[in-house]
Amino acid sequence: MSVVHRAPAGFKLGLASALIFGLAALPPERARWGLAALPLLISLALLARLSLKRLLSRWALGAPFLLAAASLAYFRPHGLGLSLALFAKSAISLLALQLLASTTPLHELVRTLRRLHVPLVLCETIALLARYSTLLSDEARRMRRARAGRTLRQSRFREWRALGNALGLLFVRSLSRAERVQRAMRARGGA
Amino acid sequence: MHIPDGFLSARVALGYAALSSLGLGAACFRLRAQRERGASALLGVSAAFVFAAQMVNFPVAAGTSGHLVGSALAGALLGLPAALVVMSAVIIMQCFVLADGGVFALGANVFNMGLVGCVVGFCCYRLLCGAAPSATRRVASVAFAGFCATIAGALSCAGQLSLSGAAQLSVVLPAMLSVHALIGVGEAIISSLIVASVLRFRPELLESAGSGERAARSRNATVFAGLGLSIAIAALLAPIADVAPDGFSRVTQALGLRANASPVLAPLSQYGVPSAISGVLATAFAGCLGTLLLFGLCWLLALALVPRRTQQAESRAIAVESSG
Repeated sequence: MSVVHRAPAGFKLGLASALIFGLAALPPERARWGLAALPLLISLALLARLSLKRLLSRWALGAPFLLAAASLAYFRPHGLGLSLALFAKSAISLLALQLLASTTPLHELVRTLRRLHVPLVLCETIALLARYSTLLSDEARRMRRARAGRTLRQSRFREWRALGNALGLLFVRSLSRAERVQRAMRARGGA
Repeated sequence: MHIPDGFLSARVALGYAALSSLGLGAACFRLRAQRERGASALLGVSAAFVFAAQMVNFPVAAGTSGHLVGSALAGALLGLPAALVVMSAVIIMQCFVLADGGVFALGANVFNMGLVGCVVGFCCYRLLCGAAPSATRRVASVAFAGFCATIAGALSCAGQLSLSGAAQLSVVLPAMLSVHALIGVGEAIISSLIVASVLRFRPELLESAGSGERAARSRNATVFAGLGLSIAIAALLAPIADVAPDGFSRVTQALGLRANASPVLAPLSQYGVPSAISGVLATAFAGCLGTLLLFGLCWLLALALVPRRTQQAESRAIAVESSG
């Protein structure tokens, strides 16, 4: 746990938002000023002892989408400069957001959101989502693997149908899990 | 359709954030009553279901694959307010955990995929479904609702990008629409597959989702509703596709968003009025035809997916066995 990890979530969220907001407010012809944030972000990543390789590979996963979106601006007047500026802005914002995401646990963010008077229903949903998403993703993966193990001959139609069935079953199972969770919460004095 | 940071201007981002927090606030307010009856776990676990379902890749061709977005499906399975909260939670979590979609663009993303997707999906579903639908009708409605929700979300996304000056509407609109027409077809197929299997395993889950006890309207009602919807979509799309760059730039100029919006107008000013009108009509006709064709395909899909009576009991028995 580094200093960056331990910093309060609200502070980090504020800082990241301020940086991203500032970048968004920069006019396109001054987008290169945004590059000044790059050393700051990299030094923060080093301070947090994040693996730069992992950070960059995650960034590279998102980059094609940025490129595709930025290329739409190419058709405007002075398009090349504009699309380069947009790409630079969004690439730096993405790096900042990834830094925030990889150093801040979601439950702290939810607590911050709650302090910002985001409705309780939404906060609870996000908290439960964070808790159960890994569980259900694992279950979906298991069902898929089981299906692949049982199905020898595969046509595309059958595969889609099998995947759809698996997801339908996953929904049914999720609902019964929700009932159990609700009962357990009530038994422990929760809502 | 996740808009990253850096593409939206401050006004557009803040405006859409205000719009979507308004809608989300209303949904949360509506849900408060339900929460007292004890359904808070339902929302969280349903959100986790949507998140997990988005992780499952459906192979398309040549190594590409697609996945569910799920706003129309959530609308059909959970009802409008719950679906809104669930989809927003998923989008917020994707933003903060996977850095998928920007923080600054969060309001716009919640608007496109949450608000627009759920409202359009839910309304299409309800309109097509009627009070006490048959299984075939339900599956067809979900498929068509999934398509409509995807298209509507893409439209709104294109509008935001062009309002921010990140792209020209005459470029971004055809690009987004053509890509999302394909994605919408995928969404329609996946949603209908899921609903068909839920109907087979636990049909009462769908029936309890607030359907009245009124007698079933005839199948004709669905056909007419589908016809009306496709004409409405075409009528909405056509003027936007052909005239809106004009209208949009006028609006943005009036708001002082872009001082140099006139280049947007340049390609349009070459068209005389009559050719513009015939262009609108042609686009409307093509859009209407395409949507009608898709509606027919949705119906055929539903007919193919919903089993006949004898098979139904059998497959349910199998499902109960295998889920144990």
